[in-house]
Amino acid sequence: MTDHPENEQKKQKKGFRHHAKKVHGRVTKYLYEKDTILSTIWVFIFIFALGAIPLNLGIMNPVKLGLKDFDFNDITYSKLGKASHTPIDKRIVIVNIGNSNREEIAMMIDKVGSLKPKVMALDALFYGERDPYQDSLLSESFKKNKNLIASQMLVLSGKEGDTVSSYAGKYISTASNYAFVNLFDDSLKTIRYCQPFFEDYAQKAYPSFAAAVIKAYDTVAYEKMEKNGEHNHKLIINYSRRVDRYLVIPYEQVLAGDVDDSSFIGKIVLFGFIDENPSNLEDKKFTPMNDRFAGKSIPDMNGIVVHANIISMALDKDYIKKVPLWGNLVLAIIVCWLHMSFFIHFYLESHIWFHLAAKIAQVLSAILFVWLGIYLYDKYRLKVDMKLSIVVIVLAVDVIYFYEAWAVWMHKKFNYKTVFKPHHH
Amino acid sequence: MKKLSILFLFFTFCFVANSQSNFLLYSFKGNVSVVENGTTSPAKVGKMLTSAASVKLTSGGAVTLICDEAAMFTLTKSGTFSLSKFGDSCKVSSSSVSANYVKYVWASMTKSSGSPGSNRKAYMNTVGAVSRSINNVWIDPRLDTVNYCGGDFPLSWKSYTEAKEFEVFLYNKEDISTPFYSTVVSKMKIPISDLAGKIKPGNSYYWTAAIKGEENDELKVLNYVTREAYDGVVNKIKSQSAAFEAPAEQAYRIGFMLEDAHYLSEACTYYSKASKLDSANVLYRSTLMSFKKDYEIK
Repeated sequence: MTDHPENEQKKQKKGFRHHAKKVHGRVTKYLYEKDTILSTIWVFIFIFALGAIPLNLGIMNPVKLGLKDFDFNDITYSKLGKASHTPIDKRIVIVNIGNSNREEIAMMIDKVGSLKPKVMALDALFYGERDPYQDSLLSESFKKNKNLIASQMLVLSGKEGDTVSSYAGKYISTASNYAFVNLFDDSLKTIRYCQPFFEDYAQKAYPSFAAAVIKAYDTVAYEKMEKNGEHNHKLIINYSRRVDRYLVIPYEQVLAGDVDDSSFIGKIVLFGFIDENPSNLEDKKFTPMNDRFAGKSIPDMNGIVVHANIISMALDKDYIKKVPLWGNLVLAIIVCWLHMSFFIHFYLESHIWFHLAAKIAQVLSAILFVWLGIYLYDKYRLKVDMKLSIVVIVLAVDVIYFYEAWAVWMHKKFNYKTVFKPHHH
Repeated sequence: MKKLSILFLFFTFCFVANSQSNFLLYSFKGNVSVVENGTTSPAKVGKMLTSAASVKLTSGGAVTLICDEAAMFTLTKSGTFSLSKFGDSCKVSSSSVSANYVKYVWASMTKSSGSPGSNRKAYMNTVGAVSRSINNVWIDPRLDTVNYCGGDFPLSWKSYTEAKEFEVFLYNKEDISTPFYSTVVSKMKIPISDLAGKIKPGNSYYWTAAIKGEENDELKVLNYVTREAYDGVVNKIKSQSAAFEAPAEQAYRIGFMLEDAHYLSEACTYYSKASKLDSANVLYRSTLMSFKKDYEIK
C-alpha cells in the first residue's frame, strides 16, 4: 500500500525540515560555549604567533611560495571569462610604435597631431643622444605638439625613497608635459596597483602617465582620481580590457594613411610598444589577466595596455574598493567561530565522523568563500581578502586538538569548566 | 485600422533600425576594400561600418571587425562579403561569472589531471630546440618524419607570403641536391597518394615544399614502409593491450601509438575507427577533430 501523494509531500517537507534543523543544531549547539569562543581565539593566537616569528619559515614551503603573488580574483579573468567581452574603449587609440626610430616616432606624432586628438601620450623613454638629425626632428615634434605628454622615469633616493634625485629617459626635453611611468612594484610580481601621484618628502606631487592623460582629457575624472590617489595612496587597478579591446594601430599604417581620420579626433592617443608574440617579453608585465592564475607563467601585458586600463578605469570612475584589514579580520573571526562550533560538535558527539565531516566542511567552505570573494569583486568591485578566512578554516581542526589538551590541563590544575572531558577518546 | 497598421509599420521600422549592428574595422592586411552605398573605397583602420556595407578581400587579404563593440571576428577568404550576413558573429555569450565559477569548480573536481592519451598536443608538441628558417614556407616539425604505408594523408605547409602556386620536391636518400621529382600545386598540401607512383615501398625519401620559383633547403623524411613492416608494427602495438579492452579503446590506443611512431595516415584511420565505434566519447571525437585540423585533413 502506498501513501497518498499529499502525505508523501508532507513527509518530504518534514524530512527536509528535520535535516535542516539537524544541521542548524550542529552549527549552533556549541556556538555560545566558552570553549568555542576560546578555541577561536586560540586560532588567531596561533596565526599571530606564527606571523611574529622573525624567521622566514615559508622558505621551504611550496604552498606559501606558491601563494605569494596569488589572488583568488585572478581566476575570474583566466577561467571565468570576466572581461572577455568588454566593449572596446572608443575613447582610447593605441599607436604601436614597434621598433621605430626617433625620426619615425616624430613623424607619427606629427601625423596623429594633425588629426586633432584631444591628448597624445608617448610611453617611451629616450636615454642619451642618437643620430643628431633624428634627435632634432623628435625634439621639434615634442615642441610643436602642445597636447603631447612625454614619459620620464623618476629616479628616487633617500632611505624612504621619497626624494626625486633626477629624471631618466628624458633626453628629449622639449615637451610641454612630462609624466612618470614608474609602476612602483617588483617587475616579477603581478601589477595590481597604480600610484597616480608621487609625493616627495617636500609634498611636491608628480603626476603619473595615466593621471596626466586624464587631467588633459576629463577634469571631473581627474578630480576623482586626485582625491583617491592623494598622499601616495595606491589604487587597485580595475583591469577591464586585454589588448584586443583597444583599437591598436601599427605605426606603419598611420604613416601610410591607412587609418580613418575620425579615429583620432577628440580621442586619447597613446603611443607605445606592443608585441603580442609571447616570446617577446620587452615591456611586458604580469597582470591579473594572465591566462595562468597560479604557478609559473610568462608576462602577459605590455606596459602601454596597463596604462590604458588605468585610464579606462579612471574615466569610468570604476575604482575598486578594498575592504580594510579590520573588515577581513571580523569576517575571518565569524567564519572561524561558526566552523569551530561545527567542528566541536562533531569532535564531541560523533568523533568517528569528525575528520570526514571536517574535511568536507573545509572543502565546501573554501569553495563558498572563494565564490563570495569573486562575486563581491565582480558585482560590487569590492575586494575582500578571503585568504585569512580560508586559513582559519584550515587551522581550526588542528587547534581543536591543542585546545582539548590545554582545556583538560586547565581543568585539572584550576578546575576550569570545559566541554572536553579528560581522555575523551 | 489603417492608423494601427501605420503605427505597427513605424515600430517595426524603428526596431529594425535599432537592431542594425555596427562594425568597427579593427585591422586589415593585404588588399581590402569597403563598399558603401555602391561606392568602393580602400579599407581604413578605425572606420565604422553599418550592416549595409560590404567588405571586399582579394587573395591573401584578411580583415578583423568588431561588431557592436564587443564581438570580434576575422575574414580571410577572398570575395565580397555583405556585413548584414554576420549577425550571428555579433552575439556574445553572457553567462555570469558565478555560473562559470560553478562550472569551473565542477569541471576541475571531476576532471583527471591528464595523461599523454588525453592531451595529445601537450605531450607531442614540446620540443627542446629553436627553429631557424628564412624560408617563406613553414613545415610543421611534426611532419619531420612521416612513415607511410597507404591511405590518403596529405603533406602540408604554411606560407608566410601570398603565393598562388607551390612546388613540391622529392629527393632520393643518395642525392639530396637534385630532386628526382617535382610537381606544382595550388593548395598548401599534397596527398602522399599523389606521390605514390614515384616512390617505392621499403625506401626512404626526402621532401620539401617551396613557393614556386623559390627554394627550400629544409628537408623532411618520408619513409614508404612495406605492408609487412607496417603489419609488424601494428601487431606489436595490438599485443600490448590490457586484459579488458573495448574495441573503441583499442582503436584509440593503436591510433595514439601509431601517431607517436609517425604513422600518421594510419593513425588517422584508427582515430576515425575509435570515434565511430564510440561516437559518444568526447575524447575520441575531439582527438580526431584536432588531428584532422593539425594535419590539414578535410
